[in-house]
Amino acid sequence: MKTLIVAIAFFFMHLGMAQFGDIGELGGFQKGINQKPEFYILNWQPGMQLAEKTTALSIEVDSMGLQPLKALVDVNGRTVLYTSDISTPVCADGDCRSMEIRLYWTLLGEYAGFDRYRNAPLTKHDHDEFLSADYLKLHQLLMDDNSILKRRKIDELVDKPKQPEMEGVDAVAGATIKEVKESVVGGALYSCYSAWHLVHGPVKEQIKKRTLESLDNEKLFTMLQSNNSDYQLFVLKKLSESQYESNYVRIAEVFEIGIPLVRTFVIKNLPESFWDSEQLQKPFWESFSKVDINSRSLLLDHLENSPESVMKNLSGQLKGMTKNQLKIYLEYLASSEKINPQIKANLENFSSSDTEINAYLVTYFLEDYEQ
Amino acid sequence: MKSILATLCFCLLSFGMFGQDILVEAESFDNPGGWVIDPQFVQQMGSPYLMAHGMGKPVKNANTVINFPKTGDYHIWVRTMNWVPGEWEAPGRFQLKVGDKAFEKVLGKLSGWGWEYVDSLKIDSKSAQLELIDLTGFNGRCDAIYFSTSNEEPPSSPKKLAEWRKNLAEEPNAPEQEQSYDLVVVGGGIAGCAASIAAAEQGLKVALIHDRPMLGGNASAEIRVHTLGIYGHFERILKKLDTEHYPNGSAEAKLDQEKRDNNVKSYKNIDLYLNWRAYDAVAENDTVRYVDARQTSTGERKRFEAPYFVDSTGDGWIGYWTGAEFSYGRESVDTYGEEWEEWGELWSPKEADNAVMGSSVLWGSKVTEAEQAFPEVPWAMPVAKEYEEVNGEWQWEFSRNDLNQIDDAEEIRDHMLRAIYGSFSNAKEHPENDTRKLEWVSYLVGKRESRRLVGDHIFTFNDAKAGTKFPDAVVIETREVDVHYQTVLEDEKNPDFISEALFYKTPQYYIPYRSLYSKNINNLFMAGRNFSTSHAGLGGPRVMRTTGQMGAAVGLAASLCKKYDINPRGIYTGYLNEYLDLIENQKYLKIPKSKQ
Repeated sequence: MKTLIVAIAFFFMHLGMAQFGDIGELGGFQKGINQKPEFYILNWQPGMQLAEKTTALSIEVDSMGLQPLKALVDVNGRTVLYTSDISTPVCADGDCRSMEIRLYWTLLGEYAGFDRYRNAPLTKHDHDEFLSADYLKLHQLLMDDNSILKRRKIDELVDKPKQPEMEGVDAVAGATIKEVKESVVGGALYSCYSAWHLVHGPVKEQIKKRTLESLDNEKLFTMLQSNNSDYQLFVLKKLSESQYESNYVRIAEVFEIGIPLVRTFVIKNLPESFWDSEQLQKPFWESFSKVDINSRSLLLDHLENSPESVMKNLSGQLKGMTKNQLKIYLEYLASSEKINPQIKANLENFSSSDTEINAYLVTYFLEDYEQ
Repeated sequence: MKSILATLCFCLLSFGMFGQDILVEAESFDNPGGWVIDPQFVQQMGSPYLMAHGMGKPVKNANTVINFPKTGDYHIWVRTMNWVPGEWEAPGRFQLKVGDKAFEKVLGKLSGWGWEYVDSLKIDSKSAQLELIDLTGFNGRCDAIYFSTSNEEPPSSPKKLAEWRKNLAEEPNAPEQEQSYDLVVVGGGIAGCAASIAAAEQGLKVALIHDRPMLGGNASAEIRVHTLGIYGHFERILKKLDTEHYPNGSAEAKLDQEKRDNNVKSYKNIDLYLNWRAYDAVAENDTVRYVDARQTSTGERKRFEAPYFVDSTGDGWIGYWTGAEFSYGRESVDTYGEEWEEWGELWSPKEADNAVMGSSVLWGSKVTEAEQAFPEVPWAMPVAKEYEEVNGEWQWEFSRNDLNQIDDAEEIRDHMLRAIYGSFSNAKEHPENDTRKLEWVSYLVGKRESRRLVGDHIFTFNDAKAGTKFPDAVVIETREVDVHYQTVLEDEKNPDFISEALFYKTPQYYIPYRSLYSKNINNLFMAGRNFSTSHAGLGGPRVMRTTGQMGAAVGLAASLCKKYDINPRGIYTGYLNEYLDLIENQKYLKIPKSKQ
């Protein structure tokens, strides 16, 4: 019943708005877009022009029914993004306001960004308009696909759960409430909640399905060029062994600049042929000092297949190894018959350092080795 | 008196290789003052040790009386470790005093556990007071003090050191005291307590061995994680042990602590060995014969024999020592088909790896009336970086693939201490925190995942997802499957000590009895996070009411094993109905006949 009243109220509200014509122009948007959306996570190629193309997909908006989901295509007709102009009521305690926003999704159905309408700013519960920082916070919230808003009903977020009396501990606050407060725009919980669930709702799967239906190598290689981690992981899971080999330069680049999650996937899933070829594995070892600790550990798992040049280079990078990583490196060295003079010199240099916390391990190693 | 006895245990008059030597184990000090006994890393560094856990304020001196076999010149070494070596003053510095002589040498400056030479001293009386003087309050640590008339440094490598200690103490291989029980439970977390109670209620004579002074493990007032999950069939027992749903780290844990300890102690046929840590177990013909344990401060040893054992150590130590199959790390997604596409690699990787959920160290601070200073902690900053916080919840968690949650637990704990002190120091930069002080920082690692022993059934995410109703379902749960990962995997700018949880909403699900005994060690039960499960499967039932259910279930099973003189598997193959009836019938206490 309550929902019905809200829907009727909003219908009249919207009717009123329609009488005044178009709700307004988007930042940089006419039919299609020719500039980067105001809040955006993908790379934007300078000069890119994207035209709108209708699709059979739609997004269900609370009490407003289905709203069309459009593809944004480049000059070659290839889909780059998906978008939808959202107009939805946001109601709290019977007070309803309209939320107007243009949302963008990636080819995999993940959140890509949003644009606001110049003359329809987002507002808070007290009708104050969003400030710039508020839009940015909304953007950050929408980027978090595992937000606490995902698992909770709106009612569970509003009332502060009872905090038990604590014996002198006033500082240990409940994490949940704190997490909600930290992630949503102050005074705009309902707008944030609605926007998050629109972005991360069933539309995700529909978009991904559409992309998979039209997937070809060209699209895969385009996605591999992207700096978007989801694209990178998606492509890395699809490539054949020979495609890994022919794209090894870009894959090594992704390994170097990607997020740790992507790096660990790369290193764990490189085809065996990489570890038989100095040329193919070399660029990965060259990133050793630039990547995170987990990725370094996974690289070190391949020491036994590495060429001597790698052992030499690593001997100059002992500083970047954790205690256990250094142990692995030294254990491998101990198994070799003869230690290269350059490696030995680097080890001696490291072991005599006063500031290296693991120098003692190398000292022990050298003592044992020389026995 | 105690101190004299303790010192005597380690004081030896060996006449050949050791000269006139005395080894004083720090954990045996008569009066530890403000230092705490830390037995968590015995298997890695060789011994319990004393630690000056003062949260930045030097703790009170620890002291003891030592007796010298003869007067003369002694060389003195202290076994210690600088827990954050680097380009700063070591955080945990302390000094030694023998009698009236306070040595200038500052200790706690050595990378890795080893012996620091203090000085030589002329001893001219038969006994003297030994004191440890903490200088920083930041976790200085002392394992032992060694006095020798010869100037030969004791060995450092763990293997040689263990041998040396054994010779020095003239310890025979086997403990001299042996005790027999119907059931030996190792590990007094919620699972171990529940197992002990359930078995004791059925008339079994139970030994419960636990390496801390209080029961509850992660739920104890020393770690302070609240219990989650449902009671299943064991509400009556688990209510004696669980906690309220206070925020993690809450001081309220103390109230539940008292309740839990009193309840377990009220069972006449549970022999409770608090402050005893198991250090070995031996199986013959794939059957556990005994567990050896050592008192964490006196060093006294006992051998525990029984027809049945429960491994509720969390780390699966009894299974490990006796050769039980176990797993560690994440299975590949295809091993059990545990994919959750939405979370891909974070949930279950294409290729197996050794990543696991991390360990937490909880902490909190409070606002006081007066301004509170906090020392500078440059050694904490490389971990904390810019992060600032005034308390820690479950998200304070650390796991990294070069660190094993068992072998490297000390480094993991220390990393968390750096994260805590550094983040608090950053928060103290703000004027609104001027009157805030650290109230409590745990020094115990609250682990989520380590070794998982393999049973006849390996519980997986799919069992939870499908709600498979096994014929031998003994544990019931409704809580979501919740697997953690480190947020630094998604963005290198994130601190490496903060995690995030992925929740999968399941229907009600069940754990079969077959996941609660070892596949290849005939008389070994397991309960707690080291039960038979996959990495993703552990995501749901790792919480403590669920592990408590496991404990109660194996305690009851043990009573039937005894009744029919069979091994745990025999219950499933031959007495399942009787076992399920027993579970049903224990739900409510029977009214005594006299009162009917």
